[in-house]
Amino acid sequence: MRNLVYLFLFLTISIQSQTKMSSSEAHALKSLVKEQALTTKTIFSDFTQYKHLDFLTNDIITKGKLAFKTPNLVKWEYTEPYKYTVLFKNETLYINDEGKKNEVDIGSNKLFKQLNSLIINSIKGDMFDDDAFHIMYYKTDKNSLVHFIPKDKKSSKYIDAFHITFNAKGDVLEVKMIEPSRDFTKIVFTNKELNKPLSDAVFTN
Amino acid sequence: MRYLLISFCVLLVSCGSYSKKQNFQLDNSASKKFENPYFSDETKDYVYKATIDVYDNSFGGLLIIKKITDKEHRIAFTTEMGNKMFDFTFTEDEFKVNFILDELDKKMLINILKKDFKVLITENLSVSNLYSENNNRIFETLIYNKNHYYYFNRNQLTQVIKAKNGKEKVAFLFTDINNNIANKISIKHNNIKLEIKLKSIIR
Repeated sequence: MRNLVYLFLFLTISIQSQTKMSSSEAHALKSLVKEQALTTKTIFSDFTQYKHLDFLTNDIITKGKLAFKTPNLVKWEYTEPYKYTVLFKNETLYINDEGKKNEVDIGSNKLFKQLNSLIINSIKGDMFDDDAFHIMYYKTDKNSLVHFIPKDKKSSKYIDAFHITFNAKGDVLEVKMIEPSRDFTKIVFTNKELNKPLSDAVFTN
Repeated sequence: MRYLLISFCVLLVSCGSYSKKQNFQLDNSASKKFENPYFSDETKDYVYKATIDVYDNSFGGLLIIKKITDKEHRIAFTTEMGNKMFDFTFTEDEFKVNFILDELDKKMLINILKKDFKVLITENLSVSNLYSENNNRIFETLIYNKNHYYYFNRNQLTQVIKAKNGKEKVAFLFTDINNNIANKISIKHNNIKLEIKLKSIIR
């Protein structure tokens, strides 16, 4: 009986933990993110990436640092369990793979470019593009969760949805990219510093 | 006429088997089966940082191998950032592409990968011949009807050579071996400029 109560409690909590936003709440979130974006010139943050493949026992966990500077400099630096850096600069992708440098790229990164521009746009606040995505707004205990479902057929072959979690200040805490197979990549940001001066030298490879 | 004779001889030699060319000694003392110990533990996720050098291009990613059941393996490749590039299923006699990026969806490429990966994951193999050479016991077997030579050095699988007409076509090297995990693997093709290098990232 007690178990049943726990189960009921658990169910209630999990149902409560994610509810749809009203249109005024969604509107408020949009303007909050926009506001936040206007004042954010740089971001420096740790990140942990979880690659989930349904057939694996555990997610593949990699860690590193993200640096962003307006308007469009982004550097993802993986430090664990291997060193790998990818820098988006002047529409080019610079890769440093444990010392091996590469500027050439393959098509799959188009997808990452899309994610990257989504992240940049989420910072800038102009990602709420109803032409490109079906957008759904949810609230959780303390945070907001927005689902972006690409309308473009070509990208929906690779991506089913982006789920972005914002904190109360309108900052991105987590980005989850879900594939049509339900496998996903989740990136969680921690120790985020906003508007810390970042010189252009950070964005070299 | 003499040239014809010589070229005929050359032809004969070049058609000779790989084992003869390498002066392997035939050894028929062993059983009819042997096992490849790698990728055989269902409880393990095998994750490798991969570098693929093909002609003058080089690209990297993660190669992920999982034994699902006794008869099934999954092999997926993602970029370091997590984008999936391909995802294959191998069962005993079947091969299925669950996903592949349009840019990589080329029959020739898929075929090469299929044949290479089949060697990595095939566990139970039938011996067609057994040889010995120095400290090596060499098991000859057929995979997709092609001759493969498995080198065991002190009961550890150290390399596999795929041979055709007496020539080495593909060499699989297993190094840094620990508890039936080859932490480093190299797959080198000799007829095309292709090398796949793998380094385990989960210990």
